[in-house]
Amino acid sequence: MISALHAIALNGGAPRVIHGARIEHVCGNPGLTPEMDQAHARQIVLTACAAIQTAVTGPTLFEP
Amino acid sequence: MKLQVGTFPVQDVVFGEATRWRDGVLEIHADGLLAEIRRDARILNAELHLLRPRERVRLVNVRDVIEPRVKVDGPGVCYPGICGRPNTTVGEGRTHRLSGLAVAESADTVLYEGNDGWLDRWLDMYGPVAEVAPSGKLLNLALILTIETRLVAQERSDAAHRAALDLCDRLARTTIGLAPPEERTYQLPTSGSSLPRVVYIVCLRSPQHYSGSLSASWVGIYGMTRLTPPWLLHPNELLDGAISGPASSHSATTSWVMTNNPIVDDLYRGHGVDHDFAGVIAIRTRWTAQEEKDLTAYQAAKLARLLGAAGAIISYDAGGNDFMEVMLTVQACERLGIKTVLLTGESPPESEGLPLLMSLPEADAVVSTGCGRPGREALEIPAAERVLGGPELFATSDRPAERIPADSPMNFHRWTDLFGLGTTSSFEY
Repeated sequence: MISALHAIALNGGAPRVIHGARIEHVCGNPGLTPEMDQAHARQIVLTACAAIQTAVTGPTLFEP
Repeated sequence: MKLQVGTFPVQDVVFGEATRWRDGVLEIHADGLLAEIRRDARILNAELHLLRPRERVRLVNVRDVIEPRVKVDGPGVCYPGICGRPNTTVGEGRTHRLSGLAVAESADTVLYEGNDGWLDRWLDMYGPVAEVAPSGKLLNLALILTIETRLVAQERSDAAHRAALDLCDRLARTTIGLAPPEERTYQLPTSGSSLPRVVYIVCLRSPQHYSGSLSASWVGIYGMTRLTPPWLLHPNELLDGAISGPASSHSATTSWVMTNNPIVDDLYRGHGVDHDFAGVIAIRTRWTAQEEKDLTAYQAAKLARLLGAAGAIISYDAGGNDFMEVMLTVQACERLGIKTVLLTGESPPESEGLPLLMSLPEADAVVSTGCGRPGREALEIPAAERVLGGPELFATSDRPAERIPADSPMNFHRWTDLFGLGTTSSFEY
């Protein structure tokens, strides 16, 4: 799960939580140039892809 | 800071030829008061109606319920900072209040354009909510306003609330020069005792995220509603209305509640007896990033520690992700060795979620006010015989597009008591 508010996702029992940006733009940053924003979003998604292949024993936070 | 509060009880309200308080009766010269309110060109029409407890009457489009209070001596004004009123620090000198009476502000104008800014509050003087909620026991003077629709939301909202505060000022001023039947002095002298120091942390939603505005109408701290770092307040500032303002049902508080906050009252009563009341920390909730929520909690806990607090009582006015700042503040305080007690309601079973949106092991002392109703069933509110303030009502506060006739009977979800004002009781099992 990619979440802007990771504490609540972890508290709710989500096994893999990726640290998103903020509620208004969970998976990006409109303050960046379009190219940088895309790279930033890609980094978050790639972190999520890696996380889903990672064995966890409980709710775990992944930093992009 | 020393504040003397003179209380003038209002047992009855009569409409007459003058506006004055005498022996518990408030006489109101409606035409004169309304003429003053209509001087604001933004207000197209204004009416006054009295709502009495147990009358089968419903007021809709309610934006705030306010206790008339006036500063008689000392700096500032009551309900400071909001709608252009002076924002000099309050909490000192002498304040007069009319107890047992509230001004209920009703206008068909949203708090702001955006989620939760809508007008889903209403006031019943009968039925199950009126039995447990404080407003059902008050004489409510409804100020029903028609505002120029061509104005932007912020101007419409400002016009409505300014008029309501102006009316409160004029009513409370009737007591100036009179000796109050009841008087109480609020002061926190340093007792130098070894009693544990206790702070009150009040968590208040900011409308900034949903409104996209730095100054949207809502419950303000000296009128300021934007997301701000934690504030340190003297409890007397709350008694003078420093935390007040209009809101939708997505804030559980009204100006009346914040000036009659039972947590402040109880902490004052026990001051120097079983604890020392160290002060009030007000935090804003509904930040939109984890780091901001964390920072708010850390800074609130730090302030509590700087105040020498051994304990903190924590309450809040709005749920949803706002509850994260509340719980994180509990955790941050406990980690600094400050014992916390959280006052909270619970989600009802049909929400199919957890009773609390978030729970942490540090929150091990919680006072629950329950699901906001005595049993498992929704509260059944019978139809109103008389309706004021508008023809329609929100069917539920979550679906603003669905409207029903304002006099409709309702299966009301619940009445949330987040400040300990309710009169329901429970038993342990």
